[in-house]
Amino acid sequence: MIDFSSPRHRHKLGYLLIAPALIMMALIIVYPILLSVDISFQDVKIARIGSDRKPFSIENYEWLFTSGEFYNSLWVTVRLLLFVGGTALIFGFACALLLNEKFKGRSFARLLVILPWAVPEVVAVVIWAWMLDSSFGVFNWILLTTGMISEPIAFASDPTSAFFSVCLVMIWKGYPFICIMLLAGLQSIPEEQYQAASVDGANVFQRFWHVTIPNMLPVLGVCFVMTALWVFRDFAIIFVLTEGGPVGSTKSLAIMTFEQSFQFFRMGRAAAVGVITLILCAILSRALVSRFAKSVA
Amino acid sequence: MAKRKNLKPWGVGATVIAICGVVLFPIYWMILTSLSKSTELRSYPPRFLPHDPQWGTFSELLAAHPFDVWFMNSLKIAIAVLVLSLTISVLAAYALSRFRLKGGQSMGLFILTAKMLPGTLIIIPFFVIFRQMGLIGSLWSVVIAQATMIIPFATWMLKGYFDTIPVELEQAAIVDGCSPIGTIFRIVLPVSAPGLAATSLYCFVLSWSDFLFARTFVVTSESLWTLNLGISSLKGEWITDWNIVMAASLMASLPIIAVFLFLERYMVGGLAAGSEK
Repeated sequence: MIDFSSPRHRHKLGYLLIAPALIMMALIIVYPILLSVDISFQDVKIARIGSDRKPFSIENYEWLFTSGEFYNSLWVTVRLLLFVGGTALIFGFACALLLNEKFKGRSFARLLVILPWAVPEVVAVVIWAWMLDSSFGVFNWILLTTGMISEPIAFASDPTSAFFSVCLVMIWKGYPFICIMLLAGLQSIPEEQYQAASVDGANVFQRFWHVTIPNMLPVLGVCFVMTALWVFRDFAIIFVLTEGGPVGSTKSLAIMTFEQSFQFFRMGRAAAVGVITLILCAILSRALVSRFAKSVA
Repeated sequence: MAKRKNLKPWGVGATVIAICGVVLFPIYWMILTSLSKSTELRSYPPRFLPHDPQWGTFSELLAAHPFDVWFMNSLKIAIAVLVLSLTISVLAAYALSRFRLKGGQSMGLFILTAKMLPGTLIIIPFFVIFRQMGLIGSLWSVVIAQATMIIPFATWMLKGYFDTIPVELEQAAIVDGCSPIGTIFRIVLPVSAPGLAATSLYCFVLSWSDFLFARTFVVTSESLWTLNLGISSLKGEWITDWNIVMAASLMASLPIIAVFLFLERYMVGGLAAGSEK
């Protein structure tokens, strides 16, 4: 038995403690990524997957870059990302600013505002699917009664409406996390900066613009990237709500990957789409790399 | 509080109430629908207030679908994931927080990679691996897959929290004859209860929400279906009994909402500790 309290052996304890995590990460993150890349270069169907190797081929990538399907999915994903990311960020920031004010029942209000975060995605989807029902949904009723539309919207069968219904669910599920992150950020801004600004005669908007915004920019950036990564990878919301339809109008890259793999059983093609998605996500989160590395090491 | 002088408290309060009303409406609508007669659901205009609540919907749900089986499967998975992820993350986070380790930076890279990995990509190699291990059609495949996605971020959250605990506490314990491992369990963990609470909440919410892994690894054996798989199967192609679906959704959300109400107060602090570097 090594005596870990002696200074000579102390660092060994550190490696011992982190070993399970590192081994697990290597086995279930690094190896699978390598395996995916390998599969993406084989023309392989589900029955044969893993049993014997197929010869190396770039056929999957050729198919990918020549099919309109891939570009459609890419475009759907980018639109989702901009729309959901932007709206959820603005709404989440507004909520965080409000909840950062001092008022009675503030902690209870915080609880209520971020409650949708705890609702499972599939549950969120079925609730919205019911509210957006084209014949009996309450959403259509509200829009009709307030005179915003003259006839019910067919959310499930009209491509544009289907896209926006996916956006709605995603924003509803996504803004609470942004709100929590931003609230944590707001609370770490030193009070002295506000006081100094007040002494200099800054009004509430000037203080917001010159104190809050500069302090929050890094956190806002992190939030946007995290939301973007979530939109890029999310599966449950789109799959349960629309299955990527109608006519591919909500088929994001994640949905396309699943469709190719566990519905069409073209594992090689699916892996190729997935690898491209991973690369895009990596590019997207480049800004986060140094930040994470610094905070962890 | 100089900065708050210009904002009227009642204005803030009214805005907060308005926002809560809008964002909580879907949850209210779920509860209301689950208590309605199925015939009422197809009437115009919709009723916005409860009227003659139909508690029978819940027994109808239990009679028509194996809801209890789905529930137990989700619960088993969540507990296993929680134990597995917390054990590994606590040890790793403590090591990262207290030791200058070579390769500690690589953990940061793992965390980021896990955040970037598309779930729909990772299920392909997982499927190959789990099949070789004979885990397809077993709840363990779902547990392992979920833990993969949770451990990196949980480690990051906990590490941030451990960093805020003064080392002197542990040094004092060592001087008093406590072993280094003992200090983790007797000193560090009790002191970091809020951080552990926030991390547990994160684990539980993620595990309870999982749809992709269950959909991929256990969809073929109905006795292993989780709540999310079951509920998604209730949403039919043409006709859907929305009151039943909403009753199932409500019962599936109750545990997570209960845990959330109980642990939420630690969440902001826990995330703040992790993200503010």
